[in-house]
Amino acid sequence: MSTAESAGTASSGRASDPWTAAHASAEFATLRTRLRGFVFPMTAFFLVWYFLYVLLAAFAPHFMAIKVVGNVNIGLIFGLLQFVSTFAITTIYVRFANRYLDPVSNRIREHVEGGSW
Amino acid sequence: MPQQAAFYVTIAAMVVVAAVTMLAGLYGAKMRSTSNFLDAARTLGPRWNAAAISGQYLSAASFLGVAGLVLKGGVDALWYPVGFTAGYVTLLLFVAAPLRRSGAYTLPDFVEVRLGSARLRRICTTFVIIVGWLYLVPQLQGAGLTLHEVTHQPKWVGAAVVMVIVTFNIYTGWMHSITIVQAFQYWIKLTALAVPVFVLLIHHAAEQQPPRSSLNAPSPAFTHGMDITPDRDIVLNVTEPTTVKVIGTQDGHPTNGLVRWAPAEHKVTKGTMVHFEAGTRIPVITDAAADYGAWLRPLGAGKHPLLATYSLIVALLLGTMGLPHVLGRYYTDPDGSAARRTTLLVLALLGAFYLFPIVSGWLARLYVPELLAAGNTDAALLELPGAALGKWPALVLGGLIAAGAFAAFISAATGLVVSVAGVLSTDVLPGRLRGFRAATIAAWSVPLAFMLAVSSLDLAQGVGLAFAVAASTFCPLLVLGIWWRGLTDTGAAAGILLGGGLAFAAVLPAAAGILPPEWQAVLAQPAVFTVPLAFLTMVVVSRRTSDRVPGDVSRILLRLHAPDRLGLSEDRDFGQSGPRAGLTAAALPRMRGGRHRR
Repeated sequence: MSTAESAGTASSGRASDPWTAAHASAEFATLRTRLRGFVFPMTAFFLVWYFLYVLLAAFAPHFMAIKVVGNVNIGLIFGLLQFVSTFAITTIYVRFANRYLDPVSNRIREHVEGGSW
Repeated sequence: MPQQAAFYVTIAAMVVVAAVTMLAGLYGAKMRSTSNFLDAARTLGPRWNAAAISGQYLSAASFLGVAGLVLKGGVDALWYPVGFTAGYVTLLLFVAAPLRRSGAYTLPDFVEVRLGSARLRRICTTFVIIVGWLYLVPQLQGAGLTLHEVTHQPKWVGAAVVMVIVTFNIYTGWMHSITIVQAFQYWIKLTALAVPVFVLLIHHAAEQQPPRSSLNAPSPAFTHGMDITPDRDIVLNVTEPTTVKVIGTQDGHPTNGLVRWAPAEHKVTKGTMVHFEAGTRIPVITDAAADYGAWLRPLGAGKHPLLATYSLIVALLLGTMGLPHVLGRYYTDPDGSAARRTTLLVLALLGAFYLFPIVSGWLARLYVPELLAAGNTDAALLELPGAALGKWPALVLGGLIAAGAFAAFISAATGLVVSVAGVLSTDVLPGRLRGFRAATIAAWSVPLAFMLAVSSLDLAQGVGLAFAVAASTFCPLLVLGIWWRGLTDTGAAAGILLGGGLAFAAVLPAAAGILPPEWQAVLAQPAVFTVPLAFLTMVVVSRRTSDRVPGDVSRILLRLHAPDRLGLSEDRDFGQSGPRAGLTAAALPRMRGGRHRR
């Protein structure tokens, strides 16, 4: 396998390439910043939230064993809440993407397809 | 329960399930004749597509395995359904939309588009096959168990039945290709689980004085004398002096008669008959929660529970995106916005489904705690109706559950075998359609042999191994490939081989059940070590080989990230460089339904 092969089949490096222009554009930078600004903190948040549950279970078992209703304890409620939080995170992402990501990416598409780059 | 009656009722329920599925297939085929199937799927919209994704995703592990794990591990087992569901969130956030835009239908295709390396493609192919095989083993195991519970046939019979049906489906090509059929599968599985659970809940609430111990008792006891014959070597955690009658081998001694067990761990060899008197506290297998307190408390059971739990979360969260039969489905959504809506609906559908195995795990703790002594907790759902109801309601509900379980094995196995056989026939074996038929047989043979040779893991744990390997290989590949321009083919290959190789090397002996218990817990779920290792290796090696970064990386990354449809509409670029001989998983059904993508 050669370096040429790994460079792929595309005609790389053409200055007039609309792809390269679009990649360098302010809109693409905005899109990338917004997406990363959402996705990475959100991921950190839900990982922390999941791990927090496990940490509480390991180091605060008495807290998790407090009974709320009948045999239903805090640990069980937290466990079931994981479903709710997973769903909530996705809902928030879907709204965010529809409101803040799609408009920018539509603008880029119009530019590229309209040949203005 | 009379065996004959149970047999006939179950067969009848299976025939009904098959008939409903076939009707859906015919309806779908009618739709397909007017246009090709992808267009048909697109006009169906996210609701159907979400049900189809869920229908294909809910396998033996979800249908039978989760209930068994809840029976055994209590609150800790919630991580399985939570992880099975949350894996879709990471898939959505990091991978789904960019992968759609890449135009690649499968992981090897993606690798070729992104890094243009044939060697890396072969490595990915190997791991797609490994993950698919690991995932198929529990499906066959579940089928064997289900038929064994109903008809007392040996375990291979159920596996063979599933293999025959799935192979027939694939050869005739009417099942896997059609969104509507997979969508029906979801509703069938939900019904087959929800109806029995509701009936059992009503029955439980109506009982004046629950005949079985309630959750308030310290730990369950046998309500009547019972013989238990474990089908694998088990270690029982005996908490009070217990007299049992043993025929076989216990603690390494051949025994035929009464034995008094002191409070300690006692080993019972496979096939040994142990008789417990009524009123004896039920000793539980060592990785189960011993009493209700531990059962209701997180991290109450097993060895190294904290590490194992973290590892499980990592594997399930990050492994879903690497499952061969999941990715292709996203192409049936017309755009990114619909794909997002689909994912949201998938989460809702999966969440709704998983309520029922969780509740049945709790019911199983009340009605069939003796499974904890036999070690076959996966049978919990199948034994519940008989233990709680008796007579004809038990027959009907038991039949319904068995039929739903078979629907689960068949739909999951179909997706997996198509994926594995597709990869085998295009990348490994020579030839095309003839090759695909041979490849279908090859796709079966290894997991079947494995399933017959070993059965030391619970269904859900077995599926967990596939997630661990997928998370240690394809998750770093996809995430770095999509989000980091510095990734090189050498770096990706090194990460996959090291992370995936170690994960596989760890899970294989765990699955074979040849490890001592203290190693078993760590090695059966290695993701917490192997996933970071794979990420790290990819980054470090890519940095070292930065001259191998593809020259058109800007263009590719733009196409992955920016504009919906830009990538999809133009096969003009990726047509030539992309899916070479793209006859893999998702492409095969397309071949039959019409070649065109749009």
